[in-house]
Amino acid sequence: MPQGKDGERAKEEFLAEAQELIESLSRDLLLLDAGIKQGQRSPETVNDLFRGVHTLKGLSGMFGFERLGRMSHVLEDLLEDLRLGRVDLTQQVLDVLFEGVDSFQRLLGDPAEQSGIDVETFTARVRSLARARVQERNIFEDYELDPSMLGVLTEYEEHRLRTNLEQGLTVFRLRVRLALDVIDTALDGLKERVKTIAEIITYLPSMDGGGGDSIEIEMLLASKKSETELRTALNRPDAALSAIPKRQRAAAPREPSKAHAPEPSTPLTPQSPPSAEIQAKPEVTPVKRSAADGDVSLRSITSVVRVDIRKLDHLMNVVGELGTVRAALARLVEKLRNGAAPAWSSEAHRIHRAFQRHLAEVQDGVLDIRMVPLSQLFDKVAVIVRQVAREQQKEVRLTITGAETEVDKLIAEELADPMMHIVRNAIDHGVEQPADREKRGKPPAGSLHVSAHQKGNHVVIELEDDGRGIDSNLIREVAIRKGVLTEQAASDLARDELLNVIFMPGFSTAREITDISGRGVGMDVVKTNITRLGGAVDIESEFGRGTKITITLPITLAIISALLFEVRDRLFAIPLAVVQEALRMPASAVRTVDGREVITLRGTTLPLCRLADLFGLGPLAPGSTEHYVIVVSVGNRRLGMCVERLSGQQDIVIKGLGRSLANTQGISGATDLGDQHLVLVLDAASIIEEVLLSRGGALIGAAS
Amino acid sequence: MTNQLAARAQALPSSDGRAPVEEAGIREFLAFVVATETYALPLSCVREIMRVPSVTPVPRAPREVLGIISVRGQVTTLIDLRQKLNVELAPVSSRTRILLVDQGDEILGLLCDRVKQVHRLSETEVELASVLGADASSYVMGIGRPGQRKAELQQGGGKPASGSNVTDILILLDPIALLKRGTHA
Repeated sequence: MPQGKDGERAKEEFLAEAQELIESLSRDLLLLDAGIKQGQRSPETVNDLFRGVHTLKGLSGMFGFERLGRMSHVLEDLLEDLRLGRVDLTQQVLDVLFEGVDSFQRLLGDPAEQSGIDVETFTARVRSLARARVQERNIFEDYELDPSMLGVLTEYEEHRLRTNLEQGLTVFRLRVRLALDVIDTALDGLKERVKTIAEIITYLPSMDGGGGDSIEIEMLLASKKSETELRTALNRPDAALSAIPKRQRAAAPREPSKAHAPEPSTPLTPQSPPSAEIQAKPEVTPVKRSAADGDVSLRSITSVVRVDIRKLDHLMNVVGELGTVRAALARLVEKLRNGAAPAWSSEAHRIHRAFQRHLAEVQDGVLDIRMVPLSQLFDKVAVIVRQVAREQQKEVRLTITGAETEVDKLIAEELADPMMHIVRNAIDHGVEQPADREKRGKPPAGSLHVSAHQKGNHVVIELEDDGRGIDSNLIREVAIRKGVLTEQAASDLARDELLNVIFMPGFSTAREITDISGRGVGMDVVKTNITRLGGAVDIESEFGRGTKITITLPITLAIISALLFEVRDRLFAIPLAVVQEALRMPASAVRTVDGREVITLRGTTLPLCRLADLFGLGPLAPGSTEHYVIVVSVGNRRLGMCVERLSGQQDIVIKGLGRSLANTQGISGATDLGDQHLVLVLDAASIIEEVLLSRGGALIGAAS
Repeated sequence: MTNQLAARAQALPSSDGRAPVEEAGIREFLAFVVATETYALPLSCVREIMRVPSVTPVPRAPREVLGIISVRGQVTTLIDLRQKLNVELAPVSSRTRILLVDQGDEILGLLCDRVKQVHRLSETEVELASVLGADASSYVMGIGRPGQRKAELQQGGGKPASGSNVTDILILLDPIALLKRGTHA
């Protein structure tokens, strides 16, 4: 094990690498799980798992993670058996695999959490599974397979061939002649094309050999498609494709599809009489592992660079500073235009333009590096769903769409806890027991749909279940009993406003709500976390039918476009992403409804907020008026902010206020516009919250 | 008695690259003026002295916060010491300076009327805050009497001390207690 500082660094690298491996392992397991439920086998996934565990074993040996090494060795053996069809992929096996991957995770982490991991017991369980080998029979005898071809198959290829035949797929033989000088690309191209329609069991140079500058390749394929379909898809008139027919003589005595034939036999020599049982074979089987097995994992390590997010933050700051340099340059260019020689002026203009263009590219590039697909997060959701559902003995069908939607790494990280909370709640309290569901005429398996899509500069994530939903009457009752709302206030609130009560701090910890309503544990925490990211969370629920939670988030927190405006001669900025439009204040059209100023905008009511009053900025200077309304929206709430002047838009880098001011409500940070003067950036989500929910706040105050 | 003080000063974050002068209990303090009094902070916690740049007021900030300033790209909170020390407010003048002070988890700007000089105080030149009585503000570490040692030495040599230096007293401030959050007046 490497020592010293380099050792530490290498160990960190190992931890990161192992973490990634484990994440991809649990992803693969989920795929496998989903496959089983749909009655599909996915040999590729088993292979991926095998490679992953194999790599993990090697790494942990190198870095002295002894228990992790032993654990992965055991799992590797099990996966090898699975791969070769010596063990059937049952729910039981899958559980052991899940348990193993979970233990990997714990072995990497806090030593305090490792007490429950007993490598020996685990090993014994795996070994007992491995002993429950499947009985095999030789299906190859039923087909006109070329013995010389069968003779060169690896144990794995043989297993794949057998499985495909047992599942009733047709096996084809494909012969193609490829030119030697482009053999690599031609072969890869062919493989790619074939893979879309069939599984490649093996490929080798044809026995007939090739002449001169070309070589004949022979492939063994398994597919559900017909020969004609395959031919069309391949689109290679020069290829010879033929289905391997069943032997006539074998058809009568044997039922080819069912695997309960009594006499097992060795698969390598189909003509010879059945000899020994597979399970009685010696443990060590010479496995010709294809070269790809070793290569793939190495390649995946080197093609990705792992970077500390703080380095990117730093880079982003520098880019931001460059932006302010650019702004200063722009002002200089503008001054030159009015004074200096025209040739110089236009040269300066040209340089500025080039600078601007490249800077924009750098900015996009840095931003892009920070973006990660939400699948990273959704994979974790899938693990939680499986775990909670099993704990509760409920059935949950999870569907995920839009996992490829990208968000800033930081947001993805911060989103993990709220998502876990919502998902846990949905299954814990939303989805009913299978029997209950059937009584209500629902399918026994509950459904949880998680989806994401991009909407402008925002990402919208929806989590929708078909569980029992939230009873707003019960919320009302509990809120009154808990003293969160007065009776009067509770009866004034509309149904959807009542649902939002579950986000209130005093309410959501209430024990009763978890038992009666379906949702609610720690929902205030969920809300706080999401609001802190500049996002919003909304809830819709139909009692008895299900609940939908919608999270709206900005895509990135770093460089944003902002609208600048003035209130009482002070300049402020607001992220353009939350601005729907800015319009001239129709002074005469301002109405007061229930103590709040509103205007009518295209037939709908828009509540107004006078920022100067909210922030205590003093009275209007004589002769000036609040000319404009900036319409902001977060989630499904809208607010019109009255301002005196609009001052254009600009890309800005938001910098946090120091710790002493970090909790200032309504302000998310400040930005340097390039003249060393800071401009405050407003936090639209929290302002909307404060203004629109102040009514609830006042009522709470009255109630206590 | 002053050992306590020395320990307290030692516990303060020291600025980079400037080795504390360890000379038999001698500590360095930066003296500055707020309204009519002279105050001093341990030199080790003062990162920089700067002129007043453009200040952006922050709505809803505590009363003593004048606003925020940009210090080489870093957003820094600026605190008005007059407000903090409960003395009458005054406009910024050409001698007004900002002390950037490391408070432990944040660097803050402190607005003072005028920066004077660095004093090297020995143990005998520092009185503990307890001389002010039990209700002295927690951020007063003690009273500094620069020149005391010199005066004593000179008196030993038979020469009378020069008047003004001896009577100059410094109110020594504890930056951590002074800038602790949630202790606004």
